[in-house]
Amino acid sequence: MANHATSYSDKFVYHEPGLQHQFEDMKQQEESVSIGMWMFLVQEIMFFGGLFTVYLVFRFRFPMAFSMGSNHLNVIMGFTNTLVLIVSSLTMALTVYFAQRNKRNWQIGMIVLTMLFGLTFLYIKYLEYHEKYVDGLVPVAGWNRKVKLPGTELSAPLPFETGAVAASEQGGEEEKPYNNPRGEFQWREGSKLVSDALAEEKANPNKKVLTEYERAGYLDPTTGLVDEYRFQEKIRSFFWIYFALTGLHALHMIIGLGLMTWLLLQAFKGTFNSEYYSPVEMSGLYWHFVDIVWIFLFPLLYLLGRHLLAGG
Amino acid sequence: MAEPHIESQHMHIGIPGYLVVFGILVVGTILTFVVALQDLDWIFPGANTFVALAIAFTKMSCVMLFFMHVRWSPKLIWLAAICSFFWLSIMFSFTMQDYLTRGLGVFST
Repeated sequence: MANHATSYSDKFVYHEPGLQHQFEDMKQQEESVSIGMWMFLVQEIMFFGGLFTVYLVFRFRFPMAFSMGSNHLNVIMGFTNTLVLIVSSLTMALTVYFAQRNKRNWQIGMIVLTMLFGLTFLYIKYLEYHEKYVDGLVPVAGWNRKVKLPGTELSAPLPFETGAVAASEQGGEEEKPYNNPRGEFQWREGSKLVSDALAEEKANPNKKVLTEYERAGYLDPTTGLVDEYRFQEKIRSFFWIYFALTGLHALHMIIGLGLMTWLLLQAFKGTFNSEYYSPVEMSGLYWHFVDIVWIFLFPLLYLLGRHLLAGG
Repeated sequence: MAEPHIESQHMHIGIPGYLVVFGILVVGTILTFVVALQDLDWIFPGANTFVALAIAFTKMSCVMLFFMHVRWSPKLIWLAAICSFFWLSIMFSFTMQDYLTRGLGVFST
């Protein structure tokens, strides 16, 4: 404060070029900016945390349905996307590095690379979503690709009404012709884990493989056998969570790309230098945060439970 | 240790350091993928989940400490970063202490 008080009487006040008038000095400005950004990131963590809680509750209740859902996701695409995001995090970190060292051209190059990797991520995500759309795995009725087999009426029974589609697939290897005239959610991979568990329980009657929740969630209470429709509803929960989490994450990527576009323009004008680079660093924090969310999404959605089905 | 922030205003690990962190992240990603295909239930039930989360936490720590420069940030930033996980753990544990202790009933499925 002492400095400030004397400076009022001076005619020419030395001002660091990047200093906003409400701050004492650059150090205070940088700390205020970064604590503000971190507060934003903390609320983002809580925001994603709500969805992770949903995931936690449902996965805990229906591990078998979630394992089968996880196993269906395209793990190669998820893996590639993880690597793409990690590379983009590296180029983002280097953007900050070069901004702090007054290297404008390197900085621009790194921003462009970061954006390219971000776009690659979104493109792969689009391919994945398209795959789900074609397979009838979007959990909203009517949002899937509508497939009408020749000779079938539009008023053909819904797959869960016939009930026998998935059950017949369990035995035979041959692909059943795909019929989805209304674009319904469909699960055509059966319920191998549940029927395996039932067989195991039958072999040793003292052993409880299925939890109480799973028993109530998957089985027909009268027959004690797998109810394919009930099971499909649990798979549907998995795909809801998958689309909500990855969709929200993709939205963050799109916002991040918007930030990058703005950074690119500013960097092009030469706004950032070793004195003033806070916007670069703060955008970097955001970008790394989005990367961290994916670091957790990848194992949780794509990998957990995969070992159960890896053998057979 | 006296006034580390002033001395290290632009401090970080430099390009070689960034590449090492990047290498750790890539190795972690490959490792988590390979481990997920092995059945680790012989160690203890749910070992696969534990290992996957342990790797994810390690990767996250690397990103936060070095890419996000928390390592050289003031204590207030450390506090914010750690508190976020504290609050997150409250959300998880308070939710689960309800769900884990419910029997089958109206709200069970």
